[in-house]
Amino acid sequence: MEKSLATLDNGTTCSSWNYSGQRLATGSVDGTLSIFDSGDPASTSFKCTSKARVGESGVVKVVWIPPLFGDAVACIDGNGSLSLWEELAEDAQAVEWKHSKSFQSNSAKVLDVQFGVFRTILKMVVAYSDGQVKVYELSNPLELKNWQLQAEFQNLTDSVAKLAKASCFSASICWNPQRGDGQELSFVLGFNSDTPQLNSSKVWEFDLDHQRWVPVAELALPEDRKDQVFSVAWAPNIGRPYEVIAVATHKGIAIWHLGSNPDTDGRLSVERVALLSGYEAEVWQMEWDMSGMTLATTGTDGMVRLWQSNLNGIWHEQAAFEPTT
Amino acid sequence: MPGLAPGDSAGGGPDSVNGTLVPYSSDSHVSAIYPLRHGLNPPISRVSVSWGRGNSLRVSVFRQPDSDPKSDGEVGGKVVEVTLGKSRDGEISDAQWRKIAYGSVSPFALLQSRKNSTASLSRMQLSPSPYHLEWWEYVMEYSKDIGSLLGDPKTALATLIEDPNEVFPKKVEEPSSLKAAWELMEMFYVDKLSQAWLPERLVDWLADYNSLISIDLPTVHSKLVEFQNQIVTLQVIEDDPRYWDLISSALAVGWLEIVTENGLVEAVAVLISKMPRMRPAIDAGKIGECFKAKPDFVKAWERWRAQITKLDSSAFWIQCDHRQTREGLKNMLQIMLGNVDVLCSSTCHWMELYISHFLYIRPFTAGLESMYSLAQKCFRLKHTSNPHKLMRLMIGILGENNEVVLAECSRGFGTWMVAHAIELLTAGSNEADILVHEEREDLGGISLEELHRLVYAQLLSSHLLTWQIAPIYLTSCMRQGMGLLEILLLKQPVQENQMLLKNLEICRLYELDGISSHLMEISGMYHWKHGRKGCAVFWLQQAHDEVRLSGIASQLFDSVGKSISGESFKQWEGLIELLGSEGQLAGGLDFLHKYRDFKKCLQHAESRKDADAARQAVESLMSLMRNASTPQRFWLPILYDAVKLLSWDEGPLINVGQTNLLLNKLQELSVARLRPDFVEAELPTQALNHVRYSLATNLGRAILGEL
Repeated sequence: MEKSLATLDNGTTCSSWNYSGQRLATGSVDGTLSIFDSGDPASTSFKCTSKARVGESGVVKVVWIPPLFGDAVACIDGNGSLSLWEELAEDAQAVEWKHSKSFQSNSAKVLDVQFGVFRTILKMVVAYSDGQVKVYELSNPLELKNWQLQAEFQNLTDSVAKLAKASCFSASICWNPQRGDGQELSFVLGFNSDTPQLNSSKVWEFDLDHQRWVPVAELALPEDRKDQVFSVAWAPNIGRPYEVIAVATHKGIAIWHLGSNPDTDGRLSVERVALLSGYEAEVWQMEWDMSGMTLATTGTDGMVRLWQSNLNGIWHEQAAFEPTT
Repeated sequence: MPGLAPGDSAGGGPDSVNGTLVPYSSDSHVSAIYPLRHGLNPPISRVSVSWGRGNSLRVSVFRQPDSDPKSDGEVGGKVVEVTLGKSRDGEISDAQWRKIAYGSVSPFALLQSRKNSTASLSRMQLSPSPYHLEWWEYVMEYSKDIGSLLGDPKTALATLIEDPNEVFPKKVEEPSSLKAAWELMEMFYVDKLSQAWLPERLVDWLADYNSLISIDLPTVHSKLVEFQNQIVTLQVIEDDPRYWDLISSALAVGWLEIVTENGLVEAVAVLISKMPRMRPAIDAGKIGECFKAKPDFVKAWERWRAQITKLDSSAFWIQCDHRQTREGLKNMLQIMLGNVDVLCSSTCHWMELYISHFLYIRPFTAGLESMYSLAQKCFRLKHTSNPHKLMRLMIGILGENNEVVLAECSRGFGTWMVAHAIELLTAGSNEADILVHEEREDLGGISLEELHRLVYAQLLSSHLLTWQIAPIYLTSCMRQGMGLLEILLLKQPVQENQMLLKNLEICRLYELDGISSHLMEISGMYHWKHGRKGCAVFWLQQAHDEVRLSGIASQLFDSVGKSISGESFKQWEGLIELLGSEGQLAGGLDFLHKYRDFKKCLQHAESRKDADAARQAVESLMSLMRNASTPQRFWLPILYDAVKLLSWDEGPLINVGQTNLLLNKLQELSVARLRPDFVEAELPTQALNHVRYSLATNLGRAILGEL
């Protein structure tokens, strides 16, 4: 049933597929970024085609940058620093993965980074271990070198409040996978930290009129607001009148519906339509399929689980895969 | 959603995941666990997932990194792919599947277009012309076209070869349960002409597909096959009670050819061959006397039964001293007389008992309600705990439970089946039509029909060879089809020109201009980053990506500005050609040449303090600023360069008229800067003021000079 696509080197710790599923980027404990290609689109055998040393300490996360900005990845290393790498062939030289930008941070570590595109502008959200969130904008779409810090805030529903430095273990960011240009730019963000107010997932939207990011929804019931968030995933929307977002905490995986019309305070209506529990393990990762109908998750129990809603809107575990030798 | 779990699809077989979409099992859902073999040595430290094309799920499995130098070279992880919703039982190979998938596109598309034109006719309240067919006839045509793709099973009992070693004919082609299911749907929902003789159609259906349901249970078919294997060892076949048993069974389910051609006593054989059948015709090689009209059939049936009764009580049986023959034949007469006990013992499967009822007890059964109650009775008599998927479908159809029919189509036969069979179901029932077209809030506002098409299209998207037909199905979805199509197109790789052109063609067909531009932009950027600058500019121009093009033009500008050697200029020449072809975007080649000349003169003038060169530079400057092809965004940098000429020590080089023209340009520029799409040149912040001041000073000097 399963087909082997690639074999990874000893020490590989993370992997990420590009937008078309034709390239795989992996990171390893020795700080190597490896790129795998299949050569022929019809082939399903992927081989390592280039390697680059991207850091002294191991790579813990690799994230592809949207293809509109070339073939490029962001790497977070074990020290929590962030660097951008891209595939370039300059002046008739061979194609090479080259360093394009590093983001230095004094003390806080980068926990997660994700990219969103608004009109022609590339935006990058970075979540730090001190609970800060920074949004950067790429100045020139032709190169990844110059970034402007557009906003800096904390993951709080009250955007005026400020908290002392927090200590966060992990963060999860997911952009609204919108297609059209008409929609507002938004993302969802949750923390796993020792500061309860920061944890719950909030939906942030860019207010074009006032040129600032505002929290438009909180995806947690009042009694669950302090729960540490392991992962968030925003489902593609192919035409539903509402958005679907999955949020994983120790209580399970919550499926939220997010309305599209703001109330007078600018808040969007939210409804938790399911809490998928009976899933003891801590969730590592969640991914929606292309139609936003099936959610795939992984977790500390090593299982891959698929979740779907039935015709009556009831969510359930549809199937599970147990990796075995 | 239906059909996503592996094996939960066409020919999923008895191991199909239970409960997909079946409305009655939503609460007690237990998901199946499938092994995912990666072949790594433990310990495993992490697993991550990513969706590939369509329904393919890619799983990366990482081993705990090994610090032991001895284990150097140990594999650190594996990436495996599982395609969900794909057939696993091998009844239909991947290649056959693709053939079916491709073959069903045009019947599907034709039916949709007919549906649309019928709908628009009725909107205009025009009655269709008398030459138009009834809707069910269109669906029938569709059904026949699709059915022909699924193989021809009419070989199962077609001929009986006289060779005694071949009681059962060789099959040219294995019948598929998909075809069997399709025929069931067709006969119950579409084929209005055969409604009158539905029982006889079921007799034929069972003859064609009996072998399929013998997979888990004994059937007359499996008994025949088994006996055929032993037949070579038998001396006198009539001595074997199994022979009589089998002949009776074959008779009970209506396989009259097998019965009559296997050496029966003439009188019985003739009676069997004269069995009245209520059907318009019978295939060549098959026997029985056909009657179209019920009264004729009833008369013939009574006459025939009278003959059997007569034979049953004749003196022949006393003369027949071969016990097995006598008993066997008497038994057969009981079958033909409709003796329930004998029918029950001669048949194995409930469906066979059901068919025998139609043949010998209730040949007039009509209407789904009575067919259903008869099926229930037979089902009770020959109960099976785990019914075959075809039987589950049949029960759903007879029970007139459209939800179950859809659920069984989906769970037993997969996403292809349900997406295509909905047309059959809705042709036959108004309730079904309402059921599948009702927009459901729980499904995000789409109907069941749309859901099943989306799910099927997603499966098609999983394979490189089938994704291109997914758009046909997606565009038939009113609400969410285009959304999914856009995502599908955005996930296509664009590095290969061939593939890009193909994708652009699809965009053009469905008027997805935004997606088309996006793909061209991605392609342009890919080429740009990979050093193929000409290709990059071409695609960016096609995409009308002015932001990136002006970025490129600006790089060109810098390069021309920085280096006058001409060497790097040559490098850019191809690009300039390309950029120039559309004129307004980058100003064209003409501008760049003029600009280069201007820079050259300026440099000469500056380095040698040469007044002639300076005057030449002024000429170039004026020519540049007068020329309509000079892009507005270059005005300020040019004027900023011209500050050196404006402040020429030896007196004003630029006269009043010229200065006024430059001032006007500057004014125009100040207005243009207010527009949101204006691109600022990379110049010192005070550049504009500086230029303004220099122009004003020069104007003063020039006026004084001209007095």
